[in-house]
Amino acid sequence: MNKNITMTISIGCVSLILTMLMFTQFKTVDETDIMAIETMRETELRSELANWKEKYDAIDKEIQERDLRISEYKNELNNDANSTKLLSNEVKEAETYLGYYDVHGEGIVITLSDLDSPVDYQQLLELVNELKNAGAEAISINGQRIVSNSYISLINSSIILIDDVKTASPYEIKAIGDKKYLESALTIKGGYIDREKVSIKIDYRVEDNIVIPKYDGEISLKYSKEYKEKEEEAN
Amino acid sequence: MKLDNNKLKIVIILGVMCCFLTAGIITQIKTVQNSPTTVGKTQTENELRDSVLRWKEKYENAYEKLEKKEKELERLREQVANSNESAKGLSGKLDKYNLMLGKSDLVGKGIVITLKDGEVRSFVGGDPLVHAQDVMNVVNALKNAGADAISVNNQRVVDSTAFNCIGNVITVNGEKIGVPFVIKAIGLPSQLYGSLTMKGHYLSMLEAGGVKVNVEQVDKETIIIPKYEGIYKLEYAQNAE
Repeated sequence: MNKNITMTISIGCVSLILTMLMFTQFKTVDETDIMAIETMRETELRSELANWKEKYDAIDKEIQERDLRISEYKNELNNDANSTKLLSNEVKEAETYLGYYDVHGEGIVITLSDLDSPVDYQQLLELVNELKNAGAEAISINGQRIVSNSYISLINSSIILIDDVKTASPYEIKAIGDKKYLESALTIKGGYIDREKVSIKIDYRVEDNIVIPKYDGEISLKYSKEYKEKEEEAN
Repeated sequence: MKLDNNKLKIVIILGVMCCFLTAGIITQIKTVQNSPTTVGKTQTENELRDSVLRWKEKYENAYEKLEKKEKELERLREQVANSNESAKGLSGKLDKYNLMLGKSDLVGKGIVITLKDGEVRSFVGGDPLVHAQDVMNVVNALKNAGADAISVNNQRVVDSTAFNCIGNVITVNGEKIGVPFVIKAIGLPSQLYGSLTMKGHYLSMLEAGGVKVNVEQVDKETIIIPKYEGIYKLEYAQNAE
C-alpha cells in the first residue's frame, strides 16, 4: 500500500511539473506575437524620435536667426534710416510669405485636361493638398496664386471658381519646392497621378526655374481680434 | 529480473513522462535563449521612449526660448517705430501681416462644426467615416464662405496647411488628430452658417452618408482660434523682386 501511495505521489508530481512546462510553452507562442507588436512600436518610436529631432533643429535655427536680427536692431537703434530699413525688410518678408510678391525657384508644372470626364474641382483641391503635403512653397493654378484663404468651387461642369475668378480646363498648376520630392510624391504607386489618370489627362514636367505670380487680391481679417490672455495684459 | 504487470505499467508511464519532461526542458532552454531578444527589444523600446521624451522636452524648451526672443524683437521694433512716422507705419503693417500669418491667437464670432464617425451606413455606398478629404473640403467651404481664420482640433489652418490620412488618423500641419473633428471658424456667423448648411453642399452630403455632423452658429465673440505653432521658411521660392 505504501509503495502505491509513493508511486501515485511521484507520478502526480511529475504530471504537475509537466503541465507547468506545457504552459510555459504556450507563453512562448504568445510572445512571438508580442515581439511583432514591439517591433512595430519600435518603428513608431523611432519615427517619433526623428520627428522631434527635426522639429527641435528647425526651432534651433530660428533662434539663431532671431539672435541675428536682434543684434542688427540693437546696432542700428541710434540710426533712424538704418533701423527703419530693418523694419521695411521684415515687412517685405511678411508680404512674401503672404503671397504678395512674384516668386521663382525649382519645382513642378502639372497640366490637367478633360478626358472621358471633365476635370472636377475636387481633383484640383486634392492636387493642391498633395503639393502642400509635399512641401510646396508657392502654388498657382492657371496663373492664379493660391494663398491662405484661397478656395476652389464649382460653377458648372466646365467652369471652376478660384477666389472669385472663373477659369476652365486645361488647368496648369505650378508649384515651387524640392523638385525631386514633389515629383516622387505625385508619381508614387497609388498616389495622385496613379489614381486620377483613369479619368483625366495628366502631364507634368520638372523644372529648374518656375515663376509664380503674386496674389492680385487682398487678404484681410474682418471679424477677428488678437486674443491676449488676461494674465499677459496684466503684465 | 521478472517484473510483474503493475510494475511494468508504472515503469512505462514514468518512462514516457521522462521523455515529455526532457522535451519540455529542451523547449524551455530554447525559450530562454529567445527571451534575450524579447528582453532586448523591450530595453531598446524603453531607451527609445526615454529619448523621445528627452527630445520633446528639448523642443518645448527651445520653443519657449524662441517666444522670448520674439518678444524681445517686438520691443526693439516698438522702439524703432516710436522714432519716426514712416517706421510707425511699417510697424503697424507688420503687426497686421503677422496676424494674417497666424502668429497670434484670435478671438471673434463665427461657427463651430463637429464631425464624428457614424455607426452605420445611411445607405448602400454611404460612408459614415470622416476622412482627411472631408476635413479638407469643409475647410475649403469655410474659406469660400469668407472665414477669417480656421482651426481644426486647435491646429491653425495656414497657407501651407495640408490634410493627410495615415491609417485611421488624420494629420494637420504634420500633427496627428483623431475624431471628433472640431472645426472652428471666425467670420460673419450668419454667412458661415447659411453657406455651410445649405442643402446639397458638402456638410449635407457628409451627413447623408452617415457622418454625425453638428453645426453651431456663435454670435458672441467667444471663439478662440489658436496661433500657428510652426515656422515660416522659404527654402526654394525666392522673391523675384
